Amino acid sequence: MNKNNLIMTLLKGRTLIVLGLLVLLFSLASESFFTTSSLLLISKHVALYGILGIGMTYVLVTGGIDLSVGSVAGVAGMVAGFLINKGFTIFGTTIYFSVPSIVLIAMVIGLVIGFVNGIVITKFAVAPFIATLGMMYIGRGFANLISNGATFPNLVGNKALGNTGFEIFGRDVFNFPVAVIILIVIAVIAAIVLRKTPFGWHILAIGGNNRAARLSGVRVDHDTIIVYMFSGVCAAIVGIIATSQLVASHPMTGNTWEMNAIAAAVLGGTSLMGGVGTIVGTVIGAFIIGVITDGMVMCGVSEFWQMVIKGLVIVLAVIIDQYQRDLQARMALQARNENK
Amino acid sequence: MKLNKFCALSAIALAAATFSASAAFGADAPKRLTGGGSNIIYVITPSHSNPFFKTEAEVAVATAKKLGYDVKAVSHDDSPVKQSELFETAISDKAAAIICDNAGADATVAAVKRAYDNNIPTFLIDREINEQGIAISQIVANNYQGAKGAAEVFVEAMDEEGEYAELYGLDSDTNAKTRSTAFHEVIDQYPDMKMVSKQTANWDQNLAYQKMETILNAHPNLKGVISGNDNMAVGAAAAIKAAGKKNIRIIAVDGSNDARDEILAGTMTATAMQPAALIAQTAVEQADKYLKTGSTGKSEKQLIDCTIITKANAKKLNNFALSK
Repeated sequence: MNKNNLIMTLLKGRTLIVLGLLVLLFSLASESFFTTSSLLLISKHVALYGILGIGMTYVLVTGGIDLSVGSVAGVAGMVAGFLINKGFTIFGTTIYFSVPSIVLIAMVIGLVIGFVNGIVITKFAVAPFIATLGMMYIGRGFANLISNGATFPNLVGNKALGNTGFEIFGRDVFNFPVAVIILIVIAVIAAIVLRKTPFGWHILAIGGNNRAARLSGVRVDHDTIIVYMFSGVCAAIVGIIATSQLVASHPMTGNTWEMNAIAAAVLGGTSLMGGVGTIVGTVIGAFIIGVITDGMVMCGVSEFWQMVIKGLVIVLAVIIDQYQRDLQARMALQARNENK
Repeated sequence: MKLNKFCALSAIALAAATFSASAAFGADAPKRLTGGGSNIIYVITPSHSNPFFKTEAEVAVATAKKLGYDVKAVSHDDSPVKQSELFETAISDKAAAIICDNAGADATVAAVKRAYDNNIPTFLIDREINEQGIAISQIVANNYQGAKGAAEVFVEAMDEEGEYAELYGLDSDTNAKTRSTAFHEVIDQYPDMKMVSKQTANWDQNLAYQKMETILNAHPNLKGVISGNDNMAVGAAAAIKAAGKKNIRIIAVDGSNDARDEILAGTMTATAMQPAALIAQTAVEQADKYLKTGSTGKSEKQLIDCTIITKANAKKLNNFALSK
């Protein structure tokens, strides 16, 4: 029994343990790895996948999936770039928005795309995989259409037009990356909502057993739509941060990032079957991916091995996850037998 | 709904709060960059799965090692975001210099600027960026001259007349435009040469194969293909073979071993070899000289001429260099 309990504790904390081991490993392998600047940098890189992963966790928890997040990030970045460099022309006059309004517009676009995803999935009963796969292509197409495939360069704005300051999301305040602050804010809110509010319990219930949730009065469609909107807005925020870091918006921004978002969530123990998942787990999962990626770069590992190792880590994580669930079930059974 | 609003508001509040903290973003007068402090040179290129970039990276690594540097060769997979992350990693790794084949003329500017601000000199190879004064060197193949040379061979092989198709590279890539313009400057002088289809195939072999199948289907009298790079040309050649067509002249720009084999087999007419090996080597040598003396002795923008590869000299081509 005691042995099982110890294994259980280790398994429950496995993502943190793996993260710790990875940090230790890379610190030994590269002297520049375990420095404040490196760790802040990794956090900054992690922020992108972390924020996408948080939105994705909500979606996965309902038993869905959102493959459109990378494209939404692309569209949001392109819209922001367009509004800064070209402004918005209506009836022959061009309006230039301030940076906060541009950010708001980009986020609204993320919301709207998420809303459409949600409607297609709930009201038209299209499988989430298909609905968001379609949206992935549509989004990427529009991201390219906005500029006809070109990049919007030098998004520093113009003082006279009052739209300067867009670079801030890719920079530091008091030597702390803004992207990481955004990640922390979103993670804290998302974690509290998922664990401590009726809405959070409802979406866990939807993924756990959709029918039971519906019968017990959860507004399944309504809540599912909100979840996709949340994922959309997270993606839009990521698009803004990525664009801001480059000070240029590129139509392929976010291409294949949905995979990293899913990987972060899965590494953190979120089940693709729905009903199980934590925000803290996802953030740790994102850090594992970030530490592996940046660590291997600093150690000079070839890009091909990087792919192999990343893939192995993801599959291993799920195998351990399954093992934990089996063990948990067995221990519960044992406990029940002993009580009898 | 509340949640979304809250997220939106908090992000905006954050933006407003940090607004004033935004740093100035302007170029200073040229200063001497001494490197981040370590002995490491970062070689950042697109994926090594393309032989051109593989050669480029391998030559850069070998040259740097010979000059006594530690080297880290990494790939940005044509993603400007990943490239920007790699630049940051190089900065925090205190790199002495960065050699980079960049992922976008505009989208790379901020990353190079960041290296500059952190005292790390960047040497750009193969592709330029749309900004001067932040990279120490921008050494690129003379795509214009190469494409023009290949187009001249093409016109001759076509007997100055007939239908041809164009396979165009990635729309966002300046090289795609440069090469296409150069092709047409030569070919458009001949009124009997008629372009019947222009398709973008994103530099990609598989996509070029598919597009070529479609083009052949629609234009049975096709006599020639001009392709933005060798990958697409090789894909087109495969589609032409599969369709059982013969005597379709194909030209491209790059000079890969695959194209060489096609030229030797007679399925391709010519390609313009970009001296990838020479460019990479030159960049590393200039980086070394710059770190030691504070100057490369050359202007920032440097063009290196392409060599036209036809059946006559194809045998001598190996890994983007001609043996003597």
